[in-house]
Amino acid sequence: MNPTEIPLKSPASITDLSVGDVEQVERALIDASTRVPVLMFYASAVVWLLLGTLLAAFTSFKLHSPDLLSNVSFLTWGRIRPAHLNVMLYGWASNVGMGTAIWLMARLCRTTLRHPLLLVTGGGFWNLGVLLGICGILMGDSTGYHWLEFPSYAAWTLFVGYSLIASWAVLMFRFRRGDPIYITQWYLLAAFLWFPWMYLAAQTMLFIVPVQGVLQAAVNWWYANNLLFLWFGSLALGTAYYMIPKVIGRPVYSYHLAAIGFWTYAFFASWTGMQRLVDGPFPAWMITASTAAMILCIIPVATVGLNHHMTMRGYFPLMRYSPTLRFTVFGAMSYTAFSVLGVIISLRSFARYLQFSEVSVAYSHLGLYAFFSMIMFGAMYYIVPRLVGREWRFASLIKIHFWASVYGIGLMTLMLLAGGLVQGLNMDNPALPFTESTQSVLPYLRGRSLSGILMTVAHFVFAYHFLLMLLGLGRTASVPTFLNPVNPEPGDVIAH
Amino acid sequence: MKGFTPLVLGILATLAFSWLGLAYIPDLQIGHLDPQSDEEGTDIYPMPKSGMAERGRRVYIANGCFYCHSEQVRADYAASDVDRPRDAASSPTAKWGDRRSAPRDYIFDRPALLGKMRMGPDLANIGKAAPAEEEAALPQPSPVNPANPAPPGASPAAANTSPPPGKAAPQQNAKPPAQPSTPTSPDGAPPAANATPAPANAAAEPSSKPAAQQATPPAPGAPPPAVNASAPPANAAGQQNAKPATQPPNPPAAAASPAQAAAAPSPAASPSESPVPYSAAWHHQHLYAPRSLNLDSDMPAYKFLYEKRRVGGEQSADAINLRGEGAPGEGWEIVPTYDAKCLVAYLMSLNQSHPLNEVKSAALPAASPAAAKPAAK
Repeated sequence: MNPTEIPLKSPASITDLSVGDVEQVERALIDASTRVPVLMFYASAVVWLLLGTLLAAFTSFKLHSPDLLSNVSFLTWGRIRPAHLNVMLYGWASNVGMGTAIWLMARLCRTTLRHPLLLVTGGGFWNLGVLLGICGILMGDSTGYHWLEFPSYAAWTLFVGYSLIASWAVLMFRFRRGDPIYITQWYLLAAFLWFPWMYLAAQTMLFIVPVQGVLQAAVNWWYANNLLFLWFGSLALGTAYYMIPKVIGRPVYSYHLAAIGFWTYAFFASWTGMQRLVDGPFPAWMITASTAAMILCIIPVATVGLNHHMTMRGYFPLMRYSPTLRFTVFGAMSYTAFSVLGVIISLRSFARYLQFSEVSVAYSHLGLYAFFSMIMFGAMYYIVPRLVGREWRFASLIKIHFWASVYGIGLMTLMLLAGGLVQGLNMDNPALPFTESTQSVLPYLRGRSLSGILMTVAHFVFAYHFLLMLLGLGRTASVPTFLNPVNPEPGDVIAH
Repeated sequence: MKGFTPLVLGILATLAFSWLGLAYIPDLQIGHLDPQSDEEGTDIYPMPKSGMAERGRRVYIANGCFYCHSEQVRADYAASDVDRPRDAASSPTAKWGDRRSAPRDYIFDRPALLGKMRMGPDLANIGKAAPAEEEAALPQPSPVNPANPAPPGASPAAANTSPPPGKAAPQQNAKPPAQPSTPTSPDGAPPAANATPAPANAAAEPSSKPAAQQATPPAPGAPPPAVNASAPPANAAGQQNAKPATQPPNPPAAAASPAQAAAAPSPAASPSESPVPYSAAWHHQHLYAPRSLNLDSDMPAYKFLYEKRRVGGEQSADAINLRGEGAPGEGWEIVPTYDAKCLVAYLMSLNQSHPLNEVKSAALPAASPAAAKPAAK
């Protein structure tokens, strides 16, 4: 079985225009129109990724060595942590997600991107917003809401940027050719419509006309969970629905399953959030509703998982070669693990122990890293060569990136799950002093720092590789870079 | 889906539905609560916080305290929050809470910092854990024994949030002999004791020992270094004022005493003990050097909220009394900035012990809120 990624040919080199080649020219033109904005989103995402990784390492080390550089106000743990979080959420994840989404939209709508400079302006505002927000947090301007720490001046800059970007992405629909809307487009369109909805609702209810008392926490978690599921989750699922069939060259197994998966996801995932407040000072029905929604989320997880699995059936060996496939499939599998963990920690009998432990950190990382970021890495491995006209230079660097990321996130999840469990059990035992619970988790936190080193390596390797691509130092070849050597018979590399 | 329009409508409708269910309807249900009061309209709870405490909330947020400290007590059937004693508390009654938290507890909070993680203890009732005398202390004149001529500069352990700094008189480290004043905490170890001359400390050590232990029961291992007494200059004069031992058991008034000391011209200087747990002085020392109070603490130090400055004249009333490693050099003192004072004021204001009609309280019958009103503010 041979890997069948599309080889990139520059339009100029094509002399023989068969039907397939016409399509290829069209694709190349679309890719070219998205080049500047998408690369800008990617480049800024990678810069934020590096910054966020350093902040993460710092956060992690400070947790078990609290005296490390604690005498400077803007380096105190309580500021570094939200800085890390927001850099990752809005700097890395949103940028890379939007870049990917724009490229996918253009491809799937089969339309060139008009006025890419407007998108670039939007991206500029967005990044300015992130920068302002991070500085605000470090200076002590945080708002105190999880995942919404950006002070208002940064939040609105961010939103202006977003409006420019999203309206453009949605407008592409107007120019689309070809009627059936592919499943990926549903997810992307939904993500682009959901984000402003939830962002505006949260900003309004928290800052403009603030709701009373504990409801702020409810609105806060409603937003945070929807950001995770409906924004990042939709972007990642949509991308996976494109990449997996594309790379293996086979249609999605079932359209019906995909439709069921999408609508149940939209319906149930949006109702989650309150389970993060289990047994807090709320009417019990709110939390129960979210817990039930969380359990029902197993339906979309199962349908999406089944769909991907059936699509991939028989083609799993391709993961040996294609970097995109490898990252994407890992991400898609993590989606299942993430959802299952989400159900577990929202059940009251588990939440008793796990609610205030490190397990919730494991949960967030499983969602944002193992699921979302890995799929986005995969997408970048697919898209970037099509934008710069070069192939990734070193298969070995891709492998290092993959394995360091996988072992990093794996170790981190294990450490935080085990440590969180110990911590939670000790915390729930009033006979032990409270510090026993924090002390008992320290060894695991050191292990987590170790995993952070692995991930730092992965990200720097990736950034270096990406930089080579940007500088035009990739390979010039008609065949994509495979992780392991393949010996395709000539003509076996199919363009499609 | 066939068309574009149904798709868009469906997308918008699903999120609207969830917003309706999880944000709008709850707002109708618990979004407009009023404070509770008894029949006469007195005994109102909760009340808005003071300006200092509100500013302290901003400091609390700015430095991310809420990432490690929750402010919610879960119900007894859901977790053992209400059974959990505070680590540094000397009295068995200082638990995380008497009852679960309820929406009404937070009606004036903006934002309500419920928290998601407990790398540190829950703080919903941290203000209640403070020694009860805290407020009473101020007015009280303190009996001072000018027993030892104190080095000038000795300062009272500044305990209370607000005592005006400076007391003029050169102090004597006299120790207020047992202060009858307030009863609550046994460890009365003269928290008040401030200025401890360094040499004296050494000398005092043995004698202070017992007191120290009382003071920090929960963490025996923790070195009792943290004395309030910081007066550096005092050190010079090696006095032995250490008489702490003398008033061992009773002086509950720990908190009070610092206060008194502050008020009084001559603070009692006593060998240093840790300040009474959860008093303002304790919070300041804990924020400045957490591991001087609890070796196992995982909290970062917030030294940037404090100012190290030369002692001019005599030491400020609110200087932190640190001994040992963290102590400022001679002639220097560490005083809280305004932000630090606000932060402590905020912490001291966290108290959900007032009974609520809608919540069953473990310790107190909910029926008689007025009666049950805890002394502590």
